[in-house]
Amino acid sequence: MKDKENSSGHTSPPVCTLLTVGQAFSGTQNVSSHQKDEAWRVNVRIQGCDLDHGYLCGTMEALNVPMADTPVNDGLVNIQNVLAVMLTLLSHDVCQVVTFWEGEIVDGKNYTFFTGKWEALSEDDIRHWTKFPSFQPFLEQVKVDGGKSLDLINYPYIFMRWKEQYFVNVGTDCGLTIAGFYYVCFSCTDGSINGFYYDPNSSPFQKLELKSTNEGRSGFSFSFYELQ
Amino acid sequence: MPTANITFPIHGPVDLLTRLDSPDPETKLKALREIKNQIIGNRTKKLSFLKLGAAPAVASILSSYATQADSQLAGADVSISNIIVQSAAVLGSFACGFDAGVRAVLDAGAFPHLIRLLSNFDDKVVDASARTLRMIYQSRLAPKYEFVQEKNMEFLFSLINSECENVTGLGASIITHSCETSTEQRALCDAGILKKLISLLEGSLSQKNATLESLAVVFNKNPEVISKFVGLENERAVESSSSQRDSSLESPGTVIKNNPESVFKFVRPESGSALSSIIELTKDRYARTRLLACTCLVVIRNASPNYLQDIGINAKLVYLLLELLDDPSQVGDEASFVFSSLVAGKKDLQQLAFENNAINKFCNQLQKGQLQPKRLQGVLLALADLCSKLESCRLTFMSPKVLNQVIDALTHDCADVRTSACICLRSITRSIKNLCAGYFMNEMLVIPLIRLLDDPSVSVQVAALGVISNIVVDFTTRKSTFIQCGGVKQLVQLTKSMHSTVRCNALWALKNMMFLADDRCKEAIFLELTGSLLASLICDPEPRVQEQALALVRNLVDGCIKSIEYVFAEDGTLLDAVGRQLHNVSDFVGIQGMYFLGNVASGNEFHKEAVLQQLLAQADNGAQSFVIKFLQSSDSRLRTAAVWVIVNLTFPSCPGAFGRLVQLKNAGIISQIRNMVNDSCLDVKLRVRTVITQSMTFGDGLT
Repeated sequence: MKDKENSSGHTSPPVCTLLTVGQAFSGTQNVSSHQKDEAWRVNVRIQGCDLDHGYLCGTMEALNVPMADTPVNDGLVNIQNVLAVMLTLLSHDVCQVVTFWEGEIVDGKNYTFFTGKWEALSEDDIRHWTKFPSFQPFLEQVKVDGGKSLDLINYPYIFMRWKEQYFVNVGTDCGLTIAGFYYVCFSCTDGSINGFYYDPNSSPFQKLELKSTNEGRSGFSFSFYELQ
Repeated sequence: MPTANITFPIHGPVDLLTRLDSPDPETKLKALREIKNQIIGNRTKKLSFLKLGAAPAVASILSSYATQADSQLAGADVSISNIIVQSAAVLGSFACGFDAGVRAVLDAGAFPHLIRLLSNFDDKVVDASARTLRMIYQSRLAPKYEFVQEKNMEFLFSLINSECENVTGLGASIITHSCETSTEQRALCDAGILKKLISLLEGSLSQKNATLESLAVVFNKNPEVISKFVGLENERAVESSSSQRDSSLESPGTVIKNNPESVFKFVRPESGSALSSIIELTKDRYARTRLLACTCLVVIRNASPNYLQDIGINAKLVYLLLELLDDPSQVGDEASFVFSSLVAGKKDLQQLAFENNAINKFCNQLQKGQLQPKRLQGVLLALADLCSKLESCRLTFMSPKVLNQVIDALTHDCADVRTSACICLRSITRSIKNLCAGYFMNEMLVIPLIRLLDDPSVSVQVAALGVISNIVVDFTTRKSTFIQCGGVKQLVQLTKSMHSTVRCNALWALKNMMFLADDRCKEAIFLELTGSLLASLICDPEPRVQEQALALVRNLVDGCIKSIEYVFAEDGTLLDAVGRQLHNVSDFVGIQGMYFLGNVASGNEFHKEAVLQQLLAQADNGAQSFVIKFLQSSDSRLRTAAVWVIVNLTFPSCPGAFGRLVQLKNAGIISQIRNMVNDSCLDVKLRVRTVITQSMTFGDGLT
């Protein structure tokens, strides 16, 4: 069947209902380092989506965070910092931290695989993207032009970068950092999300693994809003 | 130094009107002069004379002396001419910038006499009549001049061709006032008006301004006319620029010689072209002329962007309009509106304006306080257009002080200002980033907005609903603030409005409020709305209202599984209403309906069975199930929504899934799904595969 929406011919990722406003995901972020081996629970909710402009945003809730996203020195966890963060969060009377993030969808039109900011060099980009098996077919072309000329329209994975912008429920004095960003790969088939956190000053390759949640339902539910 | 204080007796209106009746022409003339002097620039005086019936009295003098003049030979009686000139001037003064005056002059029947006097032998009479007619044509109350008729077109051209400045100005004003349709624009263009108007751009200040105004009207949204205009040359300008160039072309001359194409390129874009004449006028010493030239260029750019693609001209327009904003007169008021028209809907120009500090410039205007309503309206609309698309603009705007100024404007006496303040806030609240930070859900903003829902003006109500629709999305837990302020009650009231736009927008706001709402918020909305009202809105005669009502119930049954029970309240009124309605709706309404059914079908066995029955129910005329029609739609969004319903009905871990699969198969729905495995839309294709995979868990479910 010919689809009247997708007949414009430009390269853009498929519209995927599992990546629309209101959709929720839950899973873990692995924050293992040389001195510890642990993961903390993460819930993500998509709050805004503008595929034409390659834009996505949402909230990320991290549970039991103090031991997780702790500032490190030279890749090692600084115990004093851990304690400081725990005390700060306790003083805020919270056990979870919510951040607001904005995403860039790699569509070859608005954004390519090359980040070009946030202290990420093209080598850092390639190093992270190649961690996703679904990226492999694009590697050679991305080395040439960042993937500008790739046709991603019928590819069942969506590549993105998510950058946390601010803390929603705690102040900036909470002792946590949101300096880095996530390389993200979303599967349109089942709504699963894999990602790697990149921050030159944090443990490398912190892995994010999320699955689409149906919040106790026997099936999928979709809510919807439109701004005027 | 002491001076002699000479005073003239000032007569009251009643006395002066009595003097108008005098049989003595000299007394009449003096009375007319005195009335004219008293009312010039004085609305109160104009009104008091009009109340006493001055307009019919003066119109009657004009009419009788015009008749006498018709029977006179050229130059025969100066006193008759003088009385005509003065009575025309009095009528012009009544009409100048004052709609009540225009109405009185038209009602007094002076208009046809003034037109007739344009062919008078005395130049002074012609000039005075034309001047008065121009005043009338500046009002929207002036009669439309049907120039498409051949004789009228000839008359219009005779005006434009006149040697008298006021007469040519009148011709331009008639065009400005009466040219409304593309047919009229084409008729003027075909008759050769553009060439005439271009020549007037070289005329006096008043001719230039009147011509620029009329050109903007003739160009408006008409690329065909603009293309003809751009192809024309301003002959006078070409002559003068050629002579200037002759003396300075020594070196480029060698390139241009025997190279017509090069000559063409050299002459056209720089000087002599019709377009360059207008561009040149953006540098005029008079602010009004600069503004009108900018207006013309903005109209051209909006209709035919190709002609003004150059970043330089766009930057210049932005710069000029921002500069004109500082003009304290009407020019400054109008500059905001022209600026709005330039940037509205154009992200590139909004970015350019942003880089030229436009946000701060308009915000500074706002902070001056005590602005005239027209200026305040313009500034708010310009900010609304600037912040309509770019987050960077919204973030620059977001200072508490400026936001408070806009919130203050929500309670302004003038309805246009209240509407503009809402439109401005609507643009600002499009920022998901700020919504997520919970910046807008506070009583300072919510309370005046809720009050506007009671506004006597429907435009204000609709504009307020636009802002409310955005702020109630609120991703934090502050939706209760809106309920506590009485907002839901008001919105529900407006869903019963007789205006479909109001109903639609009220439902839009409620739908957004229902997005990810907690149980208490949902309950508060549903109790106020009731199942029966929702059911009637789902069946509203207006499809846009149906769509919003269905999207609202879609959100109602999302989230906590027990919220699906709302659908079964009042004997399942809601579900039945949706099922009935979906047999005969447009695709965009169908999408919301199918997501509603899909959300209900993600519940328990009872919920799934209820949805299945709706899918299998035939339309009254025995037509095929709506779900098959939707699966075959050309709109991939509708196909996707329809497949999701089937995904949920056949969700594998549910005990009744196999039975439902069999029923769906018997109804031909599964075979339709099977035909879609290679759908052009990836999302549809993936969901279809999910249905097939799920059916496999029951063995050979599809064959």
